Amino acid sequence: MKIRRVIVRLDPALQSRALLEAAFELAGELQAELLGLFVENQDLLHFAGLPFARELGFESATRRALDVESMERTLRALAKEARQALESAAARTQVHWSFRVVRGAPAAELLAVVEASDFVIANLEEAPQGASPASVRIVRAGDLEALRAALQEADGGVIVLVGADEHAVGESLRRALGQGRHGEQTARRR
Amino acid sequence: MDLSNSNRAATRPLDAADLCRRCDPGQFKFKTTDDLEDLAQVLGQARAENAIEFGVGIGRDGYNMFAMGPEGLGRRTIVRRYLERQAPAREAPTDWCYVYNFDTPHKPRAIALPAGRAPRFKEDMTRLVEDLRAGIPAAFESAEYRAKQREIETEFGERQEQAVGAIGERAKKQGIALVRTPAGFGFAPRSGDGVMNPDEYRKLPETEQSRLENAISVLQEELESAIHDMPKWRREAQRKLRELNRQVTRTVVNGLIEEVRAEFQALPGVLEYLAAMQEDVLDHVEVFRQPKDGEPPTLFGVPLPLSEIGESFLRRYQVNVLIEHGGTKGAPIVYEDHPTHDNLVGRIEHISQMGALVTDFTLIKAGSLHRANGGYLILDAMKVLTQPLSWEALKRALRSREIRIESLGQMLSLISTVSLEPEPIPLDVKLVVVGPRLIYYLLHAYDPEFGELFKVAVDFEEEIGRAPEADLLYARMIATAARQEKLRPLDRAAVARVIEHGSRNAGDAEKLSVQMRDLNDLLRESDYWAGAASRKVIQAEDVQRALDARVERADRVRDKLQEEILRGRLLIDTTGDRAGQVNGLSVAQLGGFSFGIPHRITARVRLGAGKVVDIEREVELGGAIHSKGVLILSGFISGRYAANQPLSLTASLVFEQSYGGVEGDSASSAELYALLSALADSPLSQSLAVTGSVNQHGAVQAIGGVNEKIEGFFDICRSRGLTGDQGVLIPSANVKSLMLRRDVVEAAAAGKFHVYPIDNVDQGIEILTGVPAGERDATGHFPAGTINYRVERRLVEFADRTRAPVAPAAPRGARRRPRRP
Repeated sequence: MKIRRVIVRLDPALQSRALLEAAFELAGELQAELLGLFVENQDLLHFAGLPFARELGFESATRRALDVESMERTLRALAKEARQALESAAARTQVHWSFRVVRGAPAAELLAVVEASDFVIANLEEAPQGASPASVRIVRAGDLEALRAALQEADGGVIVLVGADEHAVGESLRRALGQGRHGEQTARRR
Repeated sequence: MDLSNSNRAATRPLDAADLCRRCDPGQFKFKTTDDLEDLAQVLGQARAENAIEFGVGIGRDGYNMFAMGPEGLGRRTIVRRYLERQAPAREAPTDWCYVYNFDTPHKPRAIALPAGRAPRFKEDMTRLVEDLRAGIPAAFESAEYRAKQREIETEFGERQEQAVGAIGERAKKQGIALVRTPAGFGFAPRSGDGVMNPDEYRKLPETEQSRLENAISVLQEELESAIHDMPKWRREAQRKLRELNRQVTRTVVNGLIEEVRAEFQALPGVLEYLAAMQEDVLDHVEVFRQPKDGEPPTLFGVPLPLSEIGESFLRRYQVNVLIEHGGTKGAPIVYEDHPTHDNLVGRIEHISQMGALVTDFTLIKAGSLHRANGGYLILDAMKVLTQPLSWEALKRALRSREIRIESLGQMLSLISTVSLEPEPIPLDVKLVVVGPRLIYYLLHAYDPEFGELFKVAVDFEEEIGRAPEADLLYARMIATAARQEKLRPLDRAAVARVIEHGSRNAGDAEKLSVQMRDLNDLLRESDYWAGAASRKVIQAEDVQRALDARVERADRVRDKLQEEILRGRLLIDTTGDRAGQVNGLSVAQLGGFSFGIPHRITARVRLGAGKVVDIEREVELGGAIHSKGVLILSGFISGRYAANQPLSLTASLVFEQSYGGVEGDSASSAELYALLSALADSPLSQSLAVTGSVNQHGAVQAIGGVNEKIEGFFDICRSRGLTGDQGVLIPSANVKSLMLRRDVVEAAAAGKFHVYPIDNVDQGIEILTGVPAGERDATGHFPAGTINYRVERRLVEFADRTRAPVAPAAPRGARRRPRRP
């Protein structure tokens, strides 16, 4: 089994460019293509559509009224930003890449896109629930052993949960990759 | 008549031997100057030397020295030689550094270190920073630090999560979801896993809707207050992180600084600085974590110079060695040739960074006061006074006994940029200012601080007495100078010739000039001519050649003037007789070359209101002293001849063909002769020239430049051919000043040219007219036929005419005074 596609979920926005770069590196190593996926969260739009919808700023602690239009604008802007981040990271590599925007519940939409030959990097905090189309392994970020095992055994259908520590994920990917290559070489020699 | 005869007898021309006081080479025992020992003492400067010794020895404030005298005496050399003897006995002064002031960054601190220790301090600090840059990142890499850091970060994260999570849990129980929006949080009714669709919500019963809205509003309030606390928690986390940073690096920093501290244990200034630095390093450890290499940082895409970031921050730990005396033996002696304000008190340089001028304590540069601190500073008065603000700055430093570096631009508000106020450095310097006497006296009169700051006047002599033993000392001085200049030795005759020149230079046969510059120049030039003649020893003719060549190089103007006279364009008679006209003599000085030139002085008289008109003064070509001389003439005439009569004379006096200014009273005797001749209508001999001032009683007084004046007239006469009648009348008091050229002396010896010493006007007029002057007899009358008799008769005539009613002019005889039989 071979990984043909690396999917990077780009919402909410990635905090670290390093993760995106690591993903491109991975895709380059595996000669896979890269898909940037941006999910316009259905929940947010529903929320914005409620008559009493108020947003409480995280930094400013002020309340703001919301409506659907402004939420859609915000999401569009975020999608555009995500695409730009992707473009600039891609500029340094030869990897084929694409960008897709879908609307719906994030986990469900992600699972809908994932195929068995995919490697997914998603900044989800929890494992998505619901039926997955393939036998998908879910690995928590920072768990290097699990990631390595998943890469070696499954060779695809892996979802890496990023959570808060994006930087660590980038590092883990690089290390797992290095180890993996090393393993392959030793295997070949045998 | 007897008196006239005695006058005549007294006014014999001077013997040739009196015209120049020769230096006899025979008095010297040496063959060449190589046989002479060096002269350790300075000739004729005992007063100055005592003053220097006193000034250097007295260690009190305000006893700075002002070495005064004309240029070329060797004041600087003498002072310097003396200081060089004294300086090694004193201790080398301390080194001074400027370091960063951690409390007030714009006031860098000054630290004193024992001589030669400052560079070591600087090196140690540089190495310390290097070590810190290696040691501090290593401390941050330690497992201990990482664990602790994660703990703090996690604690903060969890606290946030807990606060938000708890509210989220409460919301969930009420069927409400906590929604994370891109910019914050919101609350919405739940439906399954997600947020309720607005359409769905509208279908809910109104009671349920209002319940949800109320609950949401309560939750919002709660969340708001939770979020309000978050910045406080973040600050707390940051503080903890900083404290952790300090803890982790403290051991490293303390250990490294301890090494430096141990080395400078005895220096409280350094220890104090190290303690402050230690705290500062601990406060800014993150700076040391910055990687040394890697991608350079950019500003709008332009790479920033490295000094902009970490490097520039670390500059604060550098040491600026302002002045160090590692190699200095004894007290320093500094001569500041260019005493600008900045060169004296030091300066603060700026560097351009992104178009702005910035500075820091490392850009403070020492001035000569810093270099001379603890020793001696020699300055040139003219130079320091002509540099703007230098003098004031110098006095300020001496008065306050500290060197305060102030930027001139700042002081005058010319530039407005970042600047510093470096801590003043205590000043202990002995200042020697070298300058002309005039400057000393002017400063003393007009600068109230001067007397207080320069209590020691070092007054240099220009000449010494010419006793026989002085000649030998002078010869030794010549020998010393020749050896110092690495010149050929001089033989006896050459030394004698140089001594004669020294006497001529002093303008006095009984003095010798101690103008070292002129002496050295003459020796160098003589050496050149000796070389040109392939001689190993400088001979008298080389010295003479040097002197002649000097004149030849400088005498173009003199030649032109003489040529004008010889061509008859400047009217000077050297033969014949003429009433009311006399040859006066003046001296011109051009570029260090003085020469005499004769002038025709004429007088006209007529009946008038008792006034002697000085034409030079009328047209403002005559100076004050010249005018004074002319007024004295009126005093003399009215006092001597017309004491009981109104002086009914109007006379005019003029320097013919003089188009420049006339100053000095040395022509007043000549003017008097012209006036007397005009009044007496007795012609004056034009083969004579006259110099000397006169007083109201008719005594002839000394003047300057007598040698040049005599030679000036001699040159004209010789060019026209010496008749044997020609000569010059000089004041008797000037006989001792005579150091005439050899050709003049030779002409006098041959009886072709005469120099007459004159004591009073009567002597002079007799020589000039060949007629006795005459003296009042027992009846109070001058003997008939004498000059004085004729003058008085003329004046009485004038007076009578003034008193007489308007009448047709009568023959002269009829207007004789009745009392004359």
